[in-house]
Amino acid sequence: MKRSRFPFIVTLAVLFFFYLPIIILIVNSFNASRFESGWQGFSLMWYKRLFHEPEIWRAAKNSLLIAASATVMSLVIGTTAAIALHRFARSRLQRFHFGLVYTPLVVPEILMGISLLMLFVAAGVELGLFTIFLAHVTFCISFVAMTVLARLQDFDESIVEAAQDLGAGWWATTRRVLLPMLLPGLIAGGLLAFTLSIDDFVITFFVAGPGSTTLPIRVYSMIKYGSPPLINALSTILLVFTFTAVAASQRLSRSRH
Amino acid sequence: MRRESRRRIREVLVSSPSLFWLSLFFIVPTLFVFAIALKPANPYGGIASGWTWDNLRSLANPNYLVVAWRTLWISLLSAAVCIVLATPIGYYLARVTARWKSFFLMLIIVPFWTNFLIRIFAWKILLHPEGAIKKALAFSGLIGPQTSLLYNAGAVVLVTVYTFLPFTILPIYAAAEKFDFQLLEAARDLGARRLQAFARIFLPGISRGLITAVLFVFIPALGSYVIPDIVGGPSGEMIGNKIAQRVFVDRNLPQASALSVVLILSVLAPLVTVLVLQRKREKPESLL
Amino acid sequence: MSEFLEFRNVSKRFGTIQAVESVSLGIKKGEFFSLLGPSGCGKTTMLRLAAGFEHPDAGRVILDGEDITDLPPNKRKVNTIFQSYALFPHLTVWENIAFGLRVAKRSKRDIETEVEAMLRLIRMGDQAHKKPDQLSGGQKQRVAIARALINRPRVLLLDEPLAALDLKLRQRMLIELDMIHDQVGITFLYVTHDQGEAMSLSDRIAVMDSGRIEQVGSPAEIYETPRTSFVAAFIGDTNFLEGEVTGLVESEYCQVKIADIPGLICFNDKSMKPGNPVYLSIRPEKIHISRDSPEESRLRNIVPAVVEDMIYLGSTTKYWVRTHGLRVQVLRQHFRFFLDEKPIRWNDDVWIWWHGDDGFMLDRYRAMDEHLVTLPPRKVGEPEDNDEKP
Repeated sequence: MKRSRFPFIVTLAVLFFFYLPIIILIVNSFNASRFESGWQGFSLMWYKRLFHEPEIWRAAKNSLLIAASATVMSLVIGTTAAIALHRFARSRLQRFHFGLVYTPLVVPEILMGISLLMLFVAAGVELGLFTIFLAHVTFCISFVAMTVLARLQDFDESIVEAAQDLGAGWWATTRRVLLPMLLPGLIAGGLLAFTLSIDDFVITFFVAGPGSTTLPIRVYSMIKYGSPPLINALSTILLVFTFTAVAASQRLSRSRH
Repeated sequence: MRRESRRRIREVLVSSPSLFWLSLFFIVPTLFVFAIALKPANPYGGIASGWTWDNLRSLANPNYLVVAWRTLWISLLSAAVCIVLATPIGYYLARVTARWKSFFLMLIIVPFWTNFLIRIFAWKILLHPEGAIKKALAFSGLIGPQTSLLYNAGAVVLVTVYTFLPFTILPIYAAAEKFDFQLLEAARDLGARRLQAFARIFLPGISRGLITAVLFVFIPALGSYVIPDIVGGPSGEMIGNKIAQRVFVDRNLPQASALSVVLILSVLAPLVTVLVLQRKREKPESLL
Repeated sequence: MSEFLEFRNVSKRFGTIQAVESVSLGIKKGEFFSLLGPSGCGKTTMLRLAAGFEHPDAGRVILDGEDITDLPPNKRKVNTIFQSYALFPHLTVWENIAFGLRVAKRSKRDIETEVEAMLRLIRMGDQAHKKPDQLSGGQKQRVAIARALINRPRVLLLDEPLAALDLKLRQRMLIELDMIHDQVGITFLYVTHDQGEAMSLSDRIAVMDSGRIEQVGSPAEIYETPRTSFVAAFIGDTNFLEGEVTGLVESEYCQVKIADIPGLICFNDKSMKPGNPVYLSIRPEKIHISRDSPEESRLRNIVPAVVEDMIYLGSTTKYWVRTHGLRVQVLRQHFRFFLDEKPIRWNDDVWIWWHGDDGFMLDRYRAMDEHLVTLPPRKVGEPEDNDEKP
C-alpha cells in the first residue's frame, strides 16, 4: 500500500521548529556583538565574563546541592511508592495512592508553588534552601515513582518465580534479581529527578528566600534585567552539560541490557 | 486470615513514606490555599486574623474575567495546535523501523533537556522586533511593519506550543505504537479511503493517547506563568501572572489564594471529566 | 469455465527476499481454492497482491476480465479475512459489519436490512451490541466473515483464518466455512499451512514453496499423484525410493530395481525406458505389513523386512521397517480388536508388500524434501539418520 508522505513532512517541519531557537542561541553565544544586531565576529568573551560572575557560581552550587539531595530523597520515597503501587495494585488504598502520586504531574507548577508557599508561611518556616529542597522532593517523587513503576510493570514475574524455584528467599530474590533488573529504572528515575530539580523555576521562585538563588532563578533575573549575550553563553554551557549527562545515562541503561 | 492482615500491614508500611510526604507537602498546602483565600490580608503583607468573603467577591472584577477568558482560549488553542501537529508525528514514528524511531525520539527529546527558561528566552530573541523573523515576514509582506510578534497573546500561544509539543507527541506516539495497523488495512479493504480510515479507525484507536496529550498541554497551560511573563506583555497576561503579581508585588497572599482557588477548580474540571468518562468506558453496564 | 481471478507472471520481492517468483495461477468462478505451503512460501504475499496491499514488481492481476493490478485496495471488489480478524475494537459487532456499507454511503434503511440479514447468516443476532473484546475466537471469526461478505465481494480472501483457534473449534469452523461457501457461492481464495484444512475444504489446491507453485490440482490429485518430492512430503507422509528402470512389463508397467531389490513392478505413466533413473513415492497406507508371507500375485511387490520402530496411534500403527538398507514407513489400520490380531513387535521379521499401481513416479526429487517426512522416534544417544554418511 502506498504510504502518504504527509506525516513525514510534518515531523521534519516540527523538528526544524524545535531546533531553530536553540541553534540561534548557540551561534549567538559566540557572537562578539552586544546588541543582537548581526554577526560581529567570533568571540569567547561572553564565556570569559561568565566565569567571573560570582553570583552565577553561587547559584550553580546551590542548584547542584539541592538537586543531589532531592534526587536521593525522592528516589527512596518514589521507589517505595512504585513498589507499593505495583505489588498491591488492586486495593482501595493503592488507588488513592496512585491518584495522590499522579496528580502532581498534571497540576500546573504555579499551584504547587503557591500552595507550598502558603504552607511555609502559615507554619512560620523561613524560606531558604531547605524549603526549596522540600519542594523539589515533593514534585520529584511523582516522576521517580512513575518511571520505576513503568519498569516494574514490564517486569517478567516468572523470573522472580524461577529464582524462588531455585531456592532463593525473599531477601536473596530482591538483592540478586529484583534490584539489578530495576537498576536501569532507578537510574532513569534518578536522572529525571536530578534534571527536573536543576531545571525548576516556578516552584523554586515561590519558595526561595531572599538569600538563596538557584541557577534558573539567576537566569530569570538575567533575562528580565541583565545582559542577553551572557545568557546565551550560560545556556550553551548548560546545554552541553545536560546533553552529556543524559547521553551518558542512556548509554549506561542500554549497556546493561 | 493472618496472611491477609500481614499483607495489609506490609502494604501500609511500604506505602507510608510517599503517602506521608505527599499528604503533608501536597494535600495540606492545597487545603491551606483554600483556607487563606477566606482570610483577610494584613496591610503589611501577611495574613490577618478572622475570616472574610472579600477575596472571593473581588474575583468578579471585570479585569479578572478578561484575564480568565484569555487564559482559557490561549490554553485551548495551544492544546489544539499541539494535537494537530503531534498526531501525524506520532503516526509516522509508530510506523518506521526501530532505528529511526529511537533516532527521531532522541531528536525530539534533546531540545527539552535544555533549561525551559532558556528556550523561552531564545524565542524572545527570535520574535524581537529587530530580529530576523520579523524582518523576513515584513519584507515578504505577510505582516505590516508595525505588527509586533512579541508581547502579545499570539507569542504566548507560539511559545506554549513549542514548550508542550513533546509532551503531546510522546503519549500519542505511545498509543500509536500499541495500535494494530492491520485495522487500517481492514478499513481500506472494506472500501474506506485513506483519510476515512484515519478518521474513523486510527483516531478512535488512539483516543486514550489523544486525551492524555490534551491534558498534558491544557492543564499546565492554564497555569502558565513564565511564558506570558517573558513574551506575553500586558496584552498576554494570564491568571498565573496575576497570582504572581499578588504575591510578589502587592504582597496580598489571600487575594493570590483566591485566584489560585479559581485555577485549582478550573484544573480539576477537565481532570474529573476525563476520569468519569474513563470509568464509563470500562463499565458500560453501570450506566444502563 | 474461464479464469475468474488470474495472476499472470507475478513477482514480488522484499529487500533481498524473492517472496513470489513469476507465478501464474487461474482460479475459477465459485471455486474454493487454497494456497497451501510452509511459512515463507509466498502464499500470504499472493493473497495481499490480490487484495491490493502489495503491488507486484512484475506481472498483472486480473479479476473477471478487468486488470486490477494498479487499483488501491478500497477500490477492488474483493474483501479479506485477516488472520487476527482485525475487528475494529471501538465499534460494536453491528457497526463492524456495517462498516463497508457506511463508507460506501448506502442509505440507512439499506444498511439496516443488510446487517440484519448478515447477523442471521452468522447466527449472532442477539450479540450485535457487543464489542469485539467480549467475543470468543469463533464469534470474532464469524463477524469478520459477515463484515466482508456484506459488501458482496467477487472474491473472498482468507488469510489462515483458523490458525488462532484450538483444535475442536477449528473443526467446527471448518464445517461452517464450508457451509458458508456453499450457501453464498462466491469464489474463496484460502491461504493455509495446514494440509487438513486445505484438503477438506478445497475444490483445488496450489502447493507453494519458496515463492513458486509446485503443483495445482484437486485434493485427490495432489495427494495421490504428487509431481515433486516436495508435494509428496509436505502433504501427508511418504516413502521415497530411488531406482532404475530395468525393463518394460506389458504396456503400462515397468520393472524397477531399487537398492538391490530387483523386479519391482511400477505403473509407467511417465513412459520411462530401461536405464532411466526414477524416484518413486509410495504412501505408507498403501503398503501392507504382516508376519505371514502374503500370496504372490502378478502386480504385487513383496519384500521381506525387519521392524525397527513403531508408534501405536489407536486406530492405526506406524511402522518403520528396514529392508535391503532402505527404511520404509508403513501405516497399518487395525480392522479388528487389536489384541486379537497377531502382534508385530520390534525386531520381528515381517513381509511388506504393495500393488504396482500404488507407487507414483515423481517429476522431480530433492533430497532436502526428505526432512518433511515424519521421522521415527529415536532412542536417547542414537545419532540422527541424517548424520550418517550414505
